[in-house]
Amino acid sequence: MCRLGCVKLTRPLERVLRVLLADPTAEHYGYDLMKATRLPSGTLYPMLARLQQEGLVHSEWEEQRTDAAGRPPRKYYRLTADGARVARLELAQASTPPTSTRRVAARTAQETPGSAL
Amino acid sequence: MSAAARSQQIAEWLIRAACRRLPADVRAERCREWTAELPAILSDQSVRLSFLRTLRALAFCAGISKTTRRLSRSWRASSRRTRSSQWRTGGIRPSDMMARLAVGLVVWAVVVAGTITVLTVLTTGPHADPWPLLAIVALVIGFDAFCLVDIARAADVRYLRKWAWALICLAQSPLGGIVYLSIGRVGPSRPMPPADAQR
Repeated sequence: MCRLGCVKLTRPLERVLRVLLADPTAEHYGYDLMKATRLPSGTLYPMLARLQQEGLVHSEWEEQRTDAAGRPPRKYYRLTADGARVARLELAQASTPPTSTRRVAARTAQETPGSAL
Repeated sequence: MSAAARSQQIAEWLIRAACRRLPADVRAERCREWTAELPAILSDQSVRLSFLRTLRALAFCAGISKTTRRLSRSWRASSRRTRSSQWRTGGIRPSDMMARLAVGLVVWAVVVAGTITVLTVLTTGPHADPWPLLAIVALVIGFDAFCLVDIARAADVRYLRKWAWALICLAQSPLGGIVYLSIGRVGPSRPMPPADAQR
C-alpha cells in the first residue's frame, strides 16, 4: 500500500501533520485546520482527501446537536493510529540530517517488520 | 437580509457550483461538509471587519473550486487507468487468453483445411456442380449469423465494443467469428468483473 513514503513531504503537508500530531486525539474541522496551518482551502482539502485515502486520517460527522445554534453538523478530522505513527516517523526524518535518516528508517524497519513502507 | 446571510448564500451557491465537478456518489456529502464550514468563517471574531470575513469566505470558495478540480482530475485519471488495464487483460489471465486463441486458430485451420479438401475433391471430379460451394457459403453465412446474434444478445463482450466485434465478424468471416468466440465472448459461467460494467 502506498504510504506517505511515496510522496514528497512538502512544507504544507509537514505543517498539517504537525498540527494534527500536536494532539493526535483532537478533532479538527476544516476551517480550524486552515487557521492553524495557515493554508488555503485549495491546498488543505486535496491533502486531507489524499491522507484519508491512504488511511492516515479519519473523518467523522459531528452529532446533530439539539440546541438551537442553527449550525449544520461539521465534519471533523483526526489522525488514525497508523497515521500518527507514520507522521511521527516522517517528521523525525525531516528534522534530522540526511546521514542519520537512513539509520532511523532502518531502526524502525527492524522494530516493525513489513510495516515501514 | 443581513450582509452575513447574503454572503452565506452567495458562498453556498459557489460551493454547490464547484461540487458539480465531483462524481455523484460523493457530491452531496462534500457539499454538505464545505457548506458547514461557512458559518465558522463568517462569524470568525478574530477577523474584525465583516467585509474581510466575506472576502475570506469567498477565498474559501475559490479554494474549494480548486479542490474539486483536483479531485475530479485524479478520479478521472484513476478510472482511466483501471479501464485501460481491463482493456489489456479483459478480465482473463494472459495465459488463459493464449490458450483460447490457440484453440480458436486450430479450429480455424481445421475448418479451412476441411473446406479446401472438400472443394477440391468435389469440384475436380467428372461431374462438377455448384452445390458444395453453395453449401459452404451457406454454412459460413449461418456461422456469421450465429456470431452476430450471440454478440447482440450478450450482456457484455471483452476488449472491444459490440459494434467492433460485429464488424470483425462480418469483415473476416469466418476467422473473425472464431476469434470472437475464442476471446471476445463472455461465457455464461464466468461473469465479467463488476468494475467493467461501469463503461
